[in-house]
Amino acid sequence: MDALDQKPILSVEKVTKYFGGVQALRDGSFSLKKGEVIAIVGGNGAGKSTLAKIISGAYIPDDGKVFVKGVEVERAKHSVTHMQERGIEVVYQDLALVPNMTAPYNLFLGRTPKKWGIFVDEKKMKNKTREVLEKLNVKTVQDLSQPISSMSGGQQQSIAIGRAIAWGSDIIILDEPTAALGPNETAEVEQLVEDVRDQQGTSFILISHNLDQVRRLADRIIVTHHGVTSKIFERNEITSDRLVKAITLGE
Amino acid sequence: MLAKDISKLFTNPKMVEKFRDYVPFIAITLVVLMFWAICGDRFMSVRNWTFIAQQTPVLMLLAFAQLMIITTGSIDISVGSSLAFSAFFGALGMLWFGDVGLILGVLAGGVVGMINGAIISLLKIPSFVTTLAMLIIVRAIVIIASDGTSIYITAGTGASGGNITSVNAPWLLQMGKFPSIFIIAVVVAFFMWLFYEKTLFGQQLRAVGGNEKVLRLVGINVTSFKIKVFAAAGLMVGLAACVNLARAGAATPQAGMMMELDAIAAVALGGTPLTGGYGSVVKTIIGAFTLTIVRNGLTIAGVPPSWSQVALGLLLIAAIAISLNRSKIDVVK
Repeated sequence: MDALDQKPILSVEKVTKYFGGVQALRDGSFSLKKGEVIAIVGGNGAGKSTLAKIISGAYIPDDGKVFVKGVEVERAKHSVTHMQERGIEVVYQDLALVPNMTAPYNLFLGRTPKKWGIFVDEKKMKNKTREVLEKLNVKTVQDLSQPISSMSGGQQQSIAIGRAIAWGSDIIILDEPTAALGPNETAEVEQLVEDVRDQQGTSFILISHNLDQVRRLADRIIVTHHGVTSKIFERNEITSDRLVKAITLGE
Repeated sequence: MLAKDISKLFTNPKMVEKFRDYVPFIAITLVVLMFWAICGDRFMSVRNWTFIAQQTPVLMLLAFAQLMIITTGSIDISVGSSLAFSAFFGALGMLWFGDVGLILGVLAGGVVGMINGAIISLLKIPSFVTTLAMLIIVRAIVIIASDGTSIYITAGTGASGGNITSVNAPWLLQMGKFPSIFIIAVVVAFFMWLFYEKTLFGQQLRAVGGNEKVLRLVGINVTSFKIKVFAAAGLMVGLAACVNLARAGAATPQAGMMMELDAIAAVALGGTPLTGGYGSVVKTIIGAFTLTIVRNGLTIAGVPPSWSQVALGLLLIAAIAISLNRSKIDVVK
């Protein structure tokens, strides 16, 4: 793919993070190109979530640098809001949505448009939601006044991904996006990721325990082991056995 | 054919859901019809309905305050004490600064609410415990500050006794009578509806009750929002206190006792789950009226007060049992 020859849209250099004296991540480094899907795999406590949270802005690294589109993220500015402004959004495994609220509310979460300063601009929200759902080719969500808890897990995850895309993000972190979903819904979400990548040129960072999914979606796979990003594999050069070995033994 | 359609109606989950939506309306209709049947014209008279219209506003405003807090998933059981505190400061304000001093009553409620909110969000102490403590503390403060005596609102004529503290404000007493008190209630209810259903603040109330964690994740300052919620509810309690001062014609240290429970009951009778995330202003109004009507109807029917309390308790349990979708609840605390 041509897109992969470009300059990295995100690069992480020797990022380190401690939690009360325990080193959760050491010298984490990798880069991500436009339209690329990169997966981070590793056992529990291997540092993959720490790495993802540093990129999303939730954690501030103790050492190392993060560059977005070639510009370094200053440590003083390192925050979720700042990373969102720079085009990075996260889709969480436990569907970071408000279940009792509608699809438009969740799409606009934290960005609710206002009318006359204090009122909610519901019309604008509904229109934008329809637009986004159309873009995502999600036809199953019809009634926008229902709370999303009445929708299926796949539909909810589409809303979550829609939220990331709606605001012009070019990097989306998928934190175990299908861990809570059944096989059909998983396929639905995977298809959505591929469509968005192809149509919008969005880059994805996929954190997953599902190695088959990783091999289906990712162009490159980063393996973390004991807080170190030990190996980066191209999709074509790795077998499942080799991947499992890298995860468990760090080889 | 018809029987099949009807049975379909009652098993269709969407219809059941719709039915639940209407429970508060059905309940109030049944309650009215029941007392009409039992007491006849003694219940269904202009005089009695005027009385109900005069009794409900204070409870309704307290229920509004409670609704804001319950929607976020917290609870406030200090509103009764706060009502006495606010009414006392409202009366005191009028003694000090004249008529405009009544504002002090509204503000006093806001201050109590803000303290509640700050303790809950900043010190992370559950709302039930915090407001239980405030229920006791605030009541004690009123008794200490008032020295156990009341401040009376007088209509100007007639000499007041030597050692009675009183404020001359006929307009306030007029405000506490029907129809003024009812008009005030309607206006406040309209603004409450606008505030709760249409503003960003109202939307945020439901969202916080739904999934607070997610809001924090996207960078919404939930801690300061919750303090604002308790402060806003406190202002509403302060307003209720001023209306109560007008209606009762006195700020007594015992005012509002047990009214926190009435307010919670009114919200619950309106079909609002105490777990937060959902709520309705219109149904809360219905809930407040239902409570007043039942109490009033039982009195007219000659049921002794203690027994009418038992009946109210049973009604509350029945209303919640029907209006809550318990099939989705797997853990009950």
